[in-house]
Amino acid sequence: MYKKMKLADTVRIAPDRLAEDVSISVKNALKDKLEGRIDKTLGAIVAVTGLDEVGEGHILVGDGAVYYDAIFDAIVFIPVLQEVIEGLVVETVEFGAFVSIGAMDGLLHVSQITDDFMSYDGKNGRLMSKAGGRSLAEGDHVRTRIVAVSIDEREPRESKIGLTMRQHALGKLEWLEEDRKPKSDAGV
Amino acid sequence: MSKQVYTRYERARIVGARSLQISMGAPVLIDDESTDSLYLAMEELDRDVIPITVKRD
Repeated sequence: MYKKMKLADTVRIAPDRLAEDVSISVKNALKDKLEGRIDKTLGAIVAVTGLDEVGEGHILVGDGAVYYDAIFDAIVFIPVLQEVIEGLVVETVEFGAFVSIGAMDGLLHVSQITDDFMSYDGKNGRLMSKAGGRSLAEGDHVRTRIVAVSIDEREPRESKIGLTMRQHALGKLEWLEEDRKPKSDAGV
Repeated sequence: MSKQVYTRYERARIVGARSLQISMGAPVLIDDESTDSLYLAMEELDRDVIPITVKRD
């Protein structure tokens, strides 16, 4: 889920940036330093939105730069276990599909797509169910649940998020639509 | 603000930090043709224009 948080950090302002307004250069430095970074407890920092407070600068020995302590607002994204999330299939491979859930991608394993057996159709880059009724391809919108989270701070790309769609009201949005239809027909 | 009195150690630290800043591209605060960062830093200190203070604790 996305969270708006108030965070504190220290940033280095290089001497050639000292001519600018402090709050502007501190905000830019925070953006450069933090946006796109992944922290184990905070999650992925999506954006630095506002600057609250800039403390006194400190000059350390051996470096001409000034270090400012700052308190700022940021938007972070952290995948939470059991969270239901909608996303977009960005890639299909033999063992499943990668789903973009915002700031990160999650893996939807073949065994977790439907109750049916899914096989990979490499020519069309999609996953087909054995009965042939359902397929999943790049660009499909899906609703999934997060069932595993392993965040790697050093290599954000190595972070793994496991997803499942084998539950009620989860799946490709079209399937959910189909599942709803017969009931409403019976009602009429 | 009355001119701050610094010890020679503090003066050395300020001039050192300031000249390093200038040599790393910080804007110079006095009108001077010189390109010698150490000279510029000492000149700035003499004119009391360096925006650096010393924390004594």
